[in-house]
Amino acid sequence: MIIISPYSKALLSGKQNPKNYPYWKELIEMIDEPIIQVGIEGEQQLVPDFRKNLPITELRKLIQECRTWISCDSFFQHLGWDEGKKGIVLWGVSDPLIYGHPENINLLEDRKYLAENQYIWWDATEHNPNRFVLPKEVIKYLK
Amino acid sequence: MSKVLCSVATRGRYFTTLPLVLNAIINQTRPVDKLVIFDDNDEPQDMRGEMIYQYFFQMLDIKGIAWEWLYADKKGQHHIHQRANTMGYEWVWRCDDDAIPEPNVLETLYYYANGVDNNIGAVGGSVLTPPYMPDTYKVTGKIDNIDSEPNIQWGKIERAKHVDHLHCTFLYRAGIIDYNLGLSRVAHREETIFSYGLYQKGYEILVVPNAVTWHMKNPEGGIRSETKQELYEHDEQIFRNILRYRDKTIVVLNCGLGDHLVFSHVLPSIPNAEVFTCYPEVVPGKSIAEAIHLFGDIDHWNIYKKMDQWKWKDSLENAYRKLYA
Repeated sequence: MIIISPYSKALLSGKQNPKNYPYWKELIEMIDEPIIQVGIEGEQQLVPDFRKNLPITELRKLIQECRTWISCDSFFQHLGWDEGKKGIVLWGVSDPLIYGHPENINLLEDRKYLAENQYIWWDATEHNPNRFVLPKEVIKYLK
Repeated sequence: MSKVLCSVATRGRYFTTLPLVLNAIINQTRPVDKLVIFDDNDEPQDMRGEMIYQYFFQMLDIKGIAWEWLYADKKGQHHIHQRANTMGYEWVWRCDDDAIPEPNVLETLYYYANGVDNNIGAVGGSVLTPPYMPDTYKVTGKIDNIDSEPNIQWGKIERAKHVDHLHCTFLYRAGIIDYNLGLSRVAHREETIFSYGLYQKGYEILVVPNAVTWHMKNPEGGIRSETKQELYEHDEQIFRNILRYRDKTIVVLNCGLGDHLVFSHVLPSIPNAEVFTCYPEVVPGKSIAEAIHLFGDIDHWNIYKKMDQWKWKDSLENAYRKLYA
């Protein structure tokens, strides 16, 4: 079983969070094993098993049960790391050298796409799908 | 040679003590690298139209001293000092608008600040207010004795001495810690809290001889020209809370869940931590509201603000280690 945590925290401005991976549907189609999506109420459901608003203790249990996990840059990648379970993090604009953990597989298309200022609200950065690696690259690391 | 910014906060003293202060700064034997005047007057004037100020500005230009006249935002002098603190200079010499330094003051303070020891956080001299001249020979300058002894800078300082805190005017290493912006407009105890913060951070605080500033206490004007007792009480309470927690490392996690998870790996290395947290299920502690109530301002524990200030390129985990080192 694989856990996916597709979305980063919603922005106050209502704009799409630029850290959100844009190719989840395509990636999910390429995965040939059970997937559990975790997230919160209001987020788009991508797989039949969507577990919303789980307390952190439940998330920790789930991480221990999964084979691995895939996440955008959200709290979940820190939780997976904290649990000692290696996963894949899909980066776009935030810097994995600052916010990531070397214990994970950190996939970044190119450092030239990183936001110039890593410390201001993400509302100031536009969402751009071209900043992320394609699903065919992600799947190579899932085996 | 490291550069010194001289910062003067002024209010209501255009034509009394401020000109004396500016003249004294311009004529220091060790010139300042830049002079910035923060004008906090309710009705600020363009002083380029005043003859004496015209001369001051010309003297600064002739001496090659950069200068700037900035209008402050009337929130109190702690906000002004924080602006100076973050202007990119290694040292800031903070001067009051009614405290006139003798010509050698900066040279002396700078000498001690850049002495053999590279761990000096702040250096102050005597700040004399005639006719009051307490005997401060036996004064310790320790924070524990703040209620039982006069301030060591109120008297003649005969020899260099390590203290815990400073008062009024001094030279300090900039950009290390922030001024407490949770204080009220009167900013009661602001310099004590700030200089003691440098001490708590592990820097040495010195008082030194041969650096006399004459405090011509002017009942009119002044950056603290507020009389509301409750403002002083508010600030005093913050100061007392800082003292109450002085043996603890205060940790304020006013940030996201992921940040808490990262910080949880740093916590074991922090001695005697007192934690205020948004996610007690990840990092146990007291509430953020309580931190604000106790310490006024919690922004100087904002890890994102710090990383931005430090132009940080390393990991978030190491940023936390630096903040709470």
